Amino acid sequence: MSNAKQAYVVRFTLQQRIEHFITMVIFFTLCLTGLAEKFYSAGWAQAVVHAMGGIDTNRLIHRICGWVMAISTVVHFANASLTMLSKKVGFTMVPNLQDFKDAILQLRFYLGLTEEHPHYDRYDYKQKFEYWGLVFGNIIMVVTGLILIFPVPFANFVSGQIIPAAKVAHSNEGLMAFLVITIWHIFNAHLGPDVFPFDASMFTGKISRARMEHEHPIELARMEGRAYDPHAAHGAGHGEAK
Amino acid sequence: MAAALFLAAGPARAGIPAEQDDCLGCHTDQSETFTLPSGEKLPLGISQEAFAKSVHGATLRCTDCHSDKSSDHATGKLPYQTRRDATKAYFEACRGCHFANYTKGLDGVHFAILKKGNEKVAMCVDCHGAHDIAKASAPRTRIANHCAKCHQKEAGIYAQSVHGRTSDLNADLPVCNDCHRAHDQSDPRDGTDLGLRTPILCGRCHGDATLMKKYRLSTSIMTSYLNDFHGMSATIQRGEKHQHGERLAAVCTDCHGVHDIQKASDPNSTAMSANLQKTCAKCHKGADTSFPKAWLSHFEPSSEKAPLVWGVQLFYKFMIPFMVLGLLLQIALHLWRTIVNR
Repeated sequence: MSNAKQAYVVRFTLQQRIEHFITMVIFFTLCLTGLAEKFYSAGWAQAVVHAMGGIDTNRLIHRICGWVMAISTVVHFANASLTMLSKKVGFTMVPNLQDFKDAILQLRFYLGLTEEHPHYDRYDYKQKFEYWGLVFGNIIMVVTGLILIFPVPFANFVSGQIIPAAKVAHSNEGLMAFLVITIWHIFNAHLGPDVFPFDASMFTGKISRARMEHEHPIELARMEGRAYDPHAAHGAGHGEAK
Repeated sequence: MAAALFLAAGPARAGIPAEQDDCLGCHTDQSETFTLPSGEKLPLGISQEAFAKSVHGATLRCTDCHSDKSSDHATGKLPYQTRRDATKAYFEACRGCHFANYTKGLDGVHFAILKKGNEKVAMCVDCHGAHDIAKASAPRTRIANHCAKCHQKEAGIYAQSVHGRTSDLNADLPVCNDCHRAHDQSDPRDGTDLGLRTPILCGRCHGDATLMKKYRLSTSIMTSYLNDFHGMSATIQRGEKHQHGERLAAVCTDCHGVHDIQKASDPNSTAMSANLQKTCAKCHKGADTSFPKAWLSHFEPSSEKAPLVWGVQLFYKFMIPFMVLGLLLQIALHLWRTIVNR
């Protein structure tokens, strides 16, 4: 391991951390109140609805959180587009061909077909997948959610069948988002061998230089103003220090 | 001893226990009356034949119910101002034997109104009769007729409904008390208790596959309702406390009607597709002609009935397991590789 010039580097701005915190709280509340309505006949679901103060309050909380989620998505995109266009940050979250190559290489590595492992930039393909999954999921949830809040005006424009279809989509997409986040995000940010028990960087904004070198060597090189040399660098493999 | 008394009674008297009090020696003249302070005439004679045929004929003696009669005869006065006072007094007489139903009656809407001072409400004998008391359900239409004595409007509408039209012949069809209960009826105007119990009430018959098969009706109406927004909301609301008159999620009767319920194919049915927009608009203000299509008419979505809903359902049926298994597989590979390389 190379000598650490500094123990920590800044990974997330205060604004990004606040955005993440809001999304986390809102997402949790949406899942709790939404899944309680989806599985309303179960005892736990009724306990949740009761604790929220009844079905109408539960629904109100869900809708308020939904509005916050919708607005924060719009704000996030407006903000991200502006900063990217003003070239303050690169298009670091935009998927590209390298991500597909990385994913294939990473899977080959997991399967033991190669000892080579991908070297990642600011976001690896898993993080991009999760981000864009959340974005597209969000769009589906916001659109179908709006249809369900305003069924009468929507039915005036398009066939009434859009309403039960929106309900099925909202209910299933919500469940899928919950499952993906519980399985994928909890593993990648909490239970994974590299981060266990808790990857605090999204809350503190800081990440250890050692982890950066390990997980995001390309970005680290850019931050430190040197050209990235894949052969000298440490790379993102796991347990390669044989 | 009992046998000796039985034999001692003359053959003209049919040998019912009531005769042993010797009341029937006088109280068989049905034209004889007692004038109450209110001016009303209280009949004093009963039909011995009717009493003998009644459910009590073989068991009760006169004084079992009329326990205070000896003092009345001594003073020549009755403790009642009106005939209604007498009915009210005998409400208590039934309690001795029929305690369970008497107690239920105390929770009923009739008793609640009686407590407020309205003495016109139904008491035991108003529905069951007095000396001619018979089993309430023999025949079942008797029940609707009893209620009709006061609730004429509702009974008239019911008689025209799909449930009321043939109930003379058919024990499957509901009469008043099947939905409203017999003794502890709740106030239907409250809209919360009876309203929220409606899916359970209708479900007792409409969820019974054997019974519904007889009428070629589908029992999936219950599941399709419960899977939908209205059924979900109403189910949760049933466990909550509600304000009087609060607007709650639609239950069966909100779309199908109450006493006037008709087949969904009947042109007069509120659930008939041609009338549905008006029915939806009761709650969904401004609902247009396309709005009722939001409701899949108790059908499970299929490629013919609701292709859009069916398609979305199918997509997630595959997408969710694909996504979850895919992610779990990658996690498993990741962990496996970590362990192998350690």
